[in-house]
Amino acid sequence: MVTLQPGGVYTKSQLLKELETLVSCGMFEKVDLEVKPKSDNTVGLTVSFVESVWSAAKQFKCINVGLMSQSGQVDFDQDMTEREKMDYLRKQERDYQQRVRGAKPCILPENVRGEVLGMMKKQEKVSARMLQKIRDHVQKWYHNEGFVCAQVVNFGNLNTNEVVCEVVEGDITKVEYQFQDKLGNLVEGNTQIPIIDRELPQQLRPGHIFNIGAGKQALKNINSLALFSNIEVNPRPDETKEGGIVVEIKLKELEPKSAEASIQPGGTVSFEHRNIYGLNRSIVGSVTSSNLLNPQDDLSFKLEYVHPYLDGVDDRSKNRTFKTSCFNTRKLSPVFVAGPNMDEAPPVWIDRVGFKANITESFTRQSKFTYGLVVEEITTRDETNSICTHGSRAMPSGGLSMDGPPTTLSGTGIDRMAFLQANITRDNTEFVNGAIVGDRYIFQLDQGLGIGSKNPLFNRHQLTMTKFINLNNPEKGAGKPLPAVLVLHGHYAGCVGDLPSYDAFALGGPYSVRGFTNGELGAGRNILELATELRVPVRNTHVYGFVEHGTDLGSSKDVKGNPTEFFRRVGHGTSYGAGVKLGLVRGEYIVDHNAGTGTLFFRFGERF
Amino acid sequence: MMATPIPREWVGLQQFPAATQTKLHELLGKLKEENVSTLTVLVMGKGGVGKSSTVNSIVGERVATVSAFQSEGLRPTMCCRTRAGFTLNIIDTPGLIEGGYINEQAVEIIKRFLLGKTIDVLLYVDRLDAYRMDTLDEQVIRAITNSFGKDIWQRALVVLTHAQLSPPDGIDYNDFFTKRSEALLRYIRSGAGINKREYGILPDGTPWVPNLMKEITVVISNGSKPIHVDQKLIDGPNPNNRWKIFIPLILAVEYFLVVKGIRRAIHADIANGKVDDWEQRYRDLVGSRDPVEQKGSAPRNRKA
Repeated sequence: MVTLQPGGVYTKSQLLKELETLVSCGMFEKVDLEVKPKSDNTVGLTVSFVESVWSAAKQFKCINVGLMSQSGQVDFDQDMTEREKMDYLRKQERDYQQRVRGAKPCILPENVRGEVLGMMKKQEKVSARMLQKIRDHVQKWYHNEGFVCAQVVNFGNLNTNEVVCEVVEGDITKVEYQFQDKLGNLVEGNTQIPIIDRELPQQLRPGHIFNIGAGKQALKNINSLALFSNIEVNPRPDETKEGGIVVEIKLKELEPKSAEASIQPGGTVSFEHRNIYGLNRSIVGSVTSSNLLNPQDDLSFKLEYVHPYLDGVDDRSKNRTFKTSCFNTRKLSPVFVAGPNMDEAPPVWIDRVGFKANITESFTRQSKFTYGLVVEEITTRDETNSICTHGSRAMPSGGLSMDGPPTTLSGTGIDRMAFLQANITRDNTEFVNGAIVGDRYIFQLDQGLGIGSKNPLFNRHQLTMTKFINLNNPEKGAGKPLPAVLVLHGHYAGCVGDLPSYDAFALGGPYSVRGFTNGELGAGRNILELATELRVPVRNTHVYGFVEHGTDLGSSKDVKGNPTEFFRRVGHGTSYGAGVKLGLVRGEYIVDHNAGTGTLFFRFGERF
Repeated sequence: MMATPIPREWVGLQQFPAATQTKLHELLGKLKEENVSTLTVLVMGKGGVGKSSTVNSIVGERVATVSAFQSEGLRPTMCCRTRAGFTLNIIDTPGLIEGGYINEQAVEIIKRFLLGKTIDVLLYVDRLDAYRMDTLDEQVIRAITNSFGKDIWQRALVVLTHAQLSPPDGIDYNDFFTKRSEALLRYIRSGAGINKREYGILPDGTPWVPNLMKEITVVISNGSKPIHVDQKLIDGPNPNNRWKIFIPLILAVEYFLVVKGIRRAIHADIANGKVDDWEQRYRDLVGSRDPVEQKGSAPRNRKA
């Protein structure tokens, strides 16, 4: 409060202003400023004061005066008589009582009030210094709880045995949106406000007290729209309503349109048109080829249109997005893969070209239900890129035997089909001190419609259940120890009806049964994979042991041509081992129980 | 596929000793009584066990080439002989094992050869002097079962060749024989998925060709049906069609049980509210303020 510094030069009016500040701050009964000139032409300044003191208080009350007018200062008119002064004071007191009654209760909890009372009881009288301490204590509590706009603005009723603390908690009166360009200038935004508004947590709307947690959540939610390069959520005092807070949301929109081409001749041409109509709809497309000027069979393209808020932006109970895309993909088939005791089999590539349209309903950030239609043409090719109709393997004589299982349902190497696809995911996993805990259930269904090559009618289904069980429930918080976690995982896949070889379920692989390569254990019509892992916290990382098992349930023979047997695969396998998590990498020693050998692996990412 | 050869006189019968010939005539007569005028016998087994020798012995002529040191040919051969209005067709097949694994090509060729024919009896041939059964035997039995269905074992006889051995370790011959055939039968039972023991075992000592024929007649009259090899049998039951009619039911179960079940779990997750820490704290301190009823909210003293 005291701005005067030794060595400074001040005018008389400045000194008087200082005196006025000290007097009017309410902490002092009397303030005297004495100026003593000194021999070296400087001036010594003595400030003597008498601290205001009030009678001891036995009660403490806290009221929220936000959005109320400020209580007026006691101002004596010079012409008042003693009697009039007394009346005036009493009227002031009555007015004040009314004010206290009309004010909202503040959210300060009992125990904090108790702390303040304890502070007051220690002293005989209530002094200005005490009031400062009380103010700091109360404000500290508010700020620690995230109510960063809360302020103690006044103390009242000091002449009684009760101290009234007037707090402005930071009630939100308005939410304002501001769009800025890259330089920070105000611009008109392209994004429609309702789609941003629906991302705000309930607690950031008028009627609530501004809390930094709500602000951070709003930031996270708006960020997930992926429409803005910069987002700021800031509170500022409301000029129109005293004590109110305006939540200012400043947004810098991302460039909606972009097109990129790198042609060398091999490369990618891509384009994006985002936030169409300001409703976060987008069209994204790309074309890739090793020779764009003369694309051969390796042209790969993707075109996708995303249309969120299918039920309208204002319907906040539902969150459905419509997505449609054209695609083509090329993958190596794990069904036509040689077993461990055979030479490598000639690879079979599965090319899929098609179109899909689906609707995704989001229940939470992680749980969702997707359903839609897929129409595709599947071509099976060998490594020379010509169509291959049957699997083949190396014969002991050295030649190639081409009489393997048929690769397609039609037998011609090209299948066309249309089917319905649905997927429901229930994921309530969360991170506890950095380790994942919770459940994840996924059910996927492909229903053939009898449309396509050989009228494929099928029901292909997969159920995956993963449970991360928190064994010791440690305290949550940054820097706290990791929990010990037991992971139980099961995956069942089956197909009733027409099953082409490329859709048979492959057994073995880093996400199927660890320690085996993709498809090394076989391919079946029904498969079951079970895995369990015990994760033990060691210092600040996890060390774990696991056992995994996969089996075709005897259904290998139910895949046309029995690719499991053709490639001399076993049809089932077990592995076990131990590992340690080093940042993003897992180091594991895995024993292949079928062969009895162990190997060291390093892998990125998670197994489950 | 070759056309059925014109059956020739069963000349080889005359080579057998008189007693054998008489017995055989009797049996053939009995078969004719039961209106059986043709018999198709399929001989299968691993390579080098004596299938071709067995065929030669039955027919009485050297119809199949046998060599102790060369591996056999790839093609099945059928030999037809008639006698007194009765026709015997014997089909000799190549061994099913090559290089330690089932020779699927051989299996396919045999199946194609048999298309359209009806098998009355299967002779499964193996060596008596093989001491151990291993996975190869399992595979052969499984291949036969997969190709013709497990019903073929109702019409099968096990023929153990090279029976002139002296059993090892001084085991009694009969004992050894019993153990050996038991071991093989066990494999057949498990591979064919049958539990009953119903087939005749060739005892030793008695002249075996007529005995074999006798056992064949027993098998034919045991009530089982001969195996007719048609395209459907060769292709095997189409697993794609199994349970296809149940697809609508399966779909209903998937939707009403699984999808709705998981949906309910999701809604339970939301209701049990995994609220963020800051939100939980806010709710504890402030409550869930409905902005409409701001003015009239009754003063509440909140406990921390």
